[in-house]
Amino acid sequence: MNLDGVPILTIVTFLPFVGAVLVAALPRSAARPVALAASLAAWVASLVLVLAFSPEAGGEPFQFKVALDWIPLFGIQYKLGVDGLSLVLVLLTTTLMWISILASFRPIQERIKEYMVSFLILEVGMIGVFLALDTFLFYIFFEIVLVPMYLIIGMWGGANRIYATIKFVLYTLVGSLLMLVAILATAFSYQAQTGSWTGAFDFEVLRAATFDPGLQVFAFIAFFLAFAIKVPMFPFHTWLPDAHVEAPTAGSVILAGVLLKLGGYGFIRYALPFYPDAAHTFAPAIIVLSLIAIIYGAIVALVQPDLKKLVAYSSVSHMGFVTLGIFVFTEQGLQGAILQMVNHGLITGALFLLVGVIYERTHDRTIAKMGGLAGLTPLYAAVFGFFVFASVGLPGLSGFVGEFLTLVGAFASSPIVAAIATFVMILAAGYLLWMFQRVATGEVSDFLRGLGPHVTDLRPVEILTLAPLAALVVAFGLFPGLLLDLIGGSVGSVLGDIAAGGPIRLALWP
Amino acid sequence: MTLPPDLIAILPLVAAVLAAIAVLVVDLALPGRRSLIVLTALVGLATVAAATVAVGGEVRRAFDGAYTVDALTTFLDLLFVAVIALTIVFGPDYLAPRNLPVAEFAIVLIFAMSGAMLLAGSTDLLLLFLGLELMVLPGYLLAAFHKSDSYSTEGAIKYFLLGSFSSAIFLFGLSFVWGLTGTTRVAEVATELTTLAAGGTLSAGLAMGLAFMTTGVAFKIAAVPFHYWTPDAYQGSPTPVTGYLSVLPKVGAFALILRLFVEAMGALRADWLPVVIVLAAVTMTLGNLVALTQNNVKRMLAYSSIAHTGYMLVGLAAWAAGRIEGLEGLLYYGAAYAFMNLGAFAVVAALQKRTGVTSNLDTFAGLGRREPWLGVLMALFLLSLTGIPPTAGFFAKFYVIVAAVGAGGALTVLAVIMVLNAAAAAFYYLRVVVYMYMRDPETEQPALRHGRLLWGGLAAATALTILLGNLQGPLLDIVGDAARAIG
Repeated sequence: MNLDGVPILTIVTFLPFVGAVLVAALPRSAARPVALAASLAAWVASLVLVLAFSPEAGGEPFQFKVALDWIPLFGIQYKLGVDGLSLVLVLLTTTLMWISILASFRPIQERIKEYMVSFLILEVGMIGVFLALDTFLFYIFFEIVLVPMYLIIGMWGGANRIYATIKFVLYTLVGSLLMLVAILATAFSYQAQTGSWTGAFDFEVLRAATFDPGLQVFAFIAFFLAFAIKVPMFPFHTWLPDAHVEAPTAGSVILAGVLLKLGGYGFIRYALPFYPDAAHTFAPAIIVLSLIAIIYGAIVALVQPDLKKLVAYSSVSHMGFVTLGIFVFTEQGLQGAILQMVNHGLITGALFLLVGVIYERTHDRTIAKMGGLAGLTPLYAAVFGFFVFASVGLPGLSGFVGEFLTLVGAFASSPIVAAIATFVMILAAGYLLWMFQRVATGEVSDFLRGLGPHVTDLRPVEILTLAPLAALVVAFGLFPGLLLDLIGGSVGSVLGDIAAGGPIRLALWP
Repeated sequence: MTLPPDLIAILPLVAAVLAAIAVLVVDLALPGRRSLIVLTALVGLATVAAATVAVGGEVRRAFDGAYTVDALTTFLDLLFVAVIALTIVFGPDYLAPRNLPVAEFAIVLIFAMSGAMLLAGSTDLLLLFLGLELMVLPGYLLAAFHKSDSYSTEGAIKYFLLGSFSSAIFLFGLSFVWGLTGTTRVAEVATELTTLAAGGTLSAGLAMGLAFMTTGVAFKIAAVPFHYWTPDAYQGSPTPVTGYLSVLPKVGAFALILRLFVEAMGALRADWLPVVIVLAAVTMTLGNLVALTQNNVKRMLAYSSIAHTGYMLVGLAAWAAGRIEGLEGLLYYGAAYAFMNLGAFAVVAALQKRTGVTSNLDTFAGLGRREPWLGVLMALFLLSLTGIPPTAGFFAKFYVIVAAVGAGGALTVLAVIMVLNAAAAAFYYLRVVVYMYMRDPETEQPALRHGRLLWGGLAAATALTILLGNLQGPLLDIVGDAARAIG
């Protein structure tokens, strides 16, 4: 498909914004259809982008680039571009977005206009983060994401929502502001090298530049904090269970499905290519932290009495595979990490939707009160089981491919690390299957029996939200090449940047 | 007829004084006509702005070098005019229900503005002091404007006593500089000090003078530990006055800093830089820590304005460490801070239109539902004060941090302290948003009707808060010229 002269990236990014303005301007009754239409339009636009994208464009990683001067004094540009990595994440975002908006139609009855505006602005920020090719612009989109999520948790969340949302904002803000300082320090370092501001915030220029070890260490630590809080890595994960438990269902879907990926994306896109030496220096420590996250998340998930908290902690464990895959610096590891990001988005998004379905009917999420859903709501139990197995990593479903590639990549780098991580996959099977067993099998619990006709099976709309996710999970499980072909170029260029670096000798007393 | 060049240079000042007199005459001739008074004041201010633009554009030195019109003067004068215009526009809705006179309010404000304008253009130490006093004296009157309210009077007395005290200290410091350099002209002081500073160590007299002047100025900008008057004066004053007090005297005092510390004593920057670094770090940290514990929004904004002083001082420190961007950032910050802070105070004032309503956090409970527009605007101003893009407050912070990071060394540490402070500040700014959107009020209050003037003023403040966050180009050129005029 030929898209010459069409600013397709700007359209994809700002279509939801147009939708937000329309929702705000039109009466309350139009909020739902207009928001859904806007998110579907953005989805279609991103599909057009996928069709027009050519994975084998020789030598030029970024396509459909736009670059306009924004603040010429500092060489800051409005610069967007797409490569395979950002493409799959944009597609993940737009897909989860219309599903989340559709899933909110029934549960959200209060202040629906504000809700839809928040979601659409959130979408602008997330797409912008993935498409920005200017560090300043990236930072702006990174921060824009914060405000709507703050409102979504704080206004439509559970009982303890205010504590959760403030915690979420403060954690994220500390990380991202330090990253701002690092972005500026990098720009200055570049300006000092070349004597010109032109390109000091340009991703492609900075990627080709090399920075002295002192700056790399400082800037890498700041970027690391920002992204490690987002991912979240152990020990920066404590905001996540609170935020997830209090957020409304669709908020949890987006939080787990996309927001956590901003961290992983940030590592691959910025932290590794900019500061390869520092990345090599800190990689062993980060691998250890990833292993801790994988084990710790799994063990804590095992003992959670609350369905949503269990899924939240499983996210910590699963995202540990992402950071592990990134920092082993092998091709399979990086491919696995990216696949794991996409798959985790699809599977955990679906699991949160399913938890939301049961919560809407019972107003409870306590695992101990459930039981026998398989008999009561067979279709629900079947779909739930499908995504639980996908999350466990059953071969043939997409969850398996990401973890497998990550482990292969890790093995090439360090067999011990791979062995430990593989061992934990047994734990994952443990907590997920045990949860499923308690919820779905056995006698129908007294609690559910007491609710009687309230516990209905999946409604058509709910099937409509879950079916695309299930289809993608199967498709990517059977044909991982669909994704691997797209991201091949990005993986290769990041590995090229990384290979140019080596560990820095850190001395406390130089 | 051609006017003498000296007179041309001070035309904006003359226009300001004439505008104040015009309001006075209108009030005498047609008492009680509030909208007419506001109209006269706004026309007068527009004339001042036009005169400022007409006179600006080239460097004019008047009165034997005592008064200078350069890019800095023009920029600051226009900023002052905008601040006063907004304050006057926000006033009547609050003053009328309390039977406070609008005309006197406008007149005193315009006189204060003329003082600030004199300060901005002064290149003579004595004239600087004169401008400073002209600017702050009306402030004491305004703080006590609600004279039947004991808090207002208490705050005003504290403000007056500490204000005069600090002026005296400042003047004492000036006398040292005059004694050692033998001149009061800024340009000559600068040359003298350059030769003195070349000798290496600072003489005891000069060090004393520097210390006294720093103390005096630190009082005026409410830097920690010279900030104790601020919360009481701010909380006690009528809310539109608080907005004014947190902006104009502060930006005006920064104008004094620019003329005095940068232009006259730039040669001694190595000596005052460490003091400014410590002052900035302590000011923003303490301001934020205390703001965290406030549950009165006016008092919270008062403490947060102390924190903003700290951020602006970072810009000054960055200049002293060799980065011209520091001054540009300081000026950009001044403009952004002025509009977002005035906007936030205007919303508080609008809520207090009904007499007896306090500025406690409870007042804001459920505001997003009760008065959706005021809620959205307040949220915008608070996000801007927090420094979330794409608002003016974000870009201002960005600019100052750019300068500090560029200067490197201790300034990078200062930049990190600054961003950590900004993150901490998010907590108390967002707490107001929490109250507006996430809490229900204990007693339902009907929505208030607000005047068209208030909406117009809020629209202007909103537009500027958004514009300065997205289309930075024009203002960047202006603050660039202004900074180069002295730095």
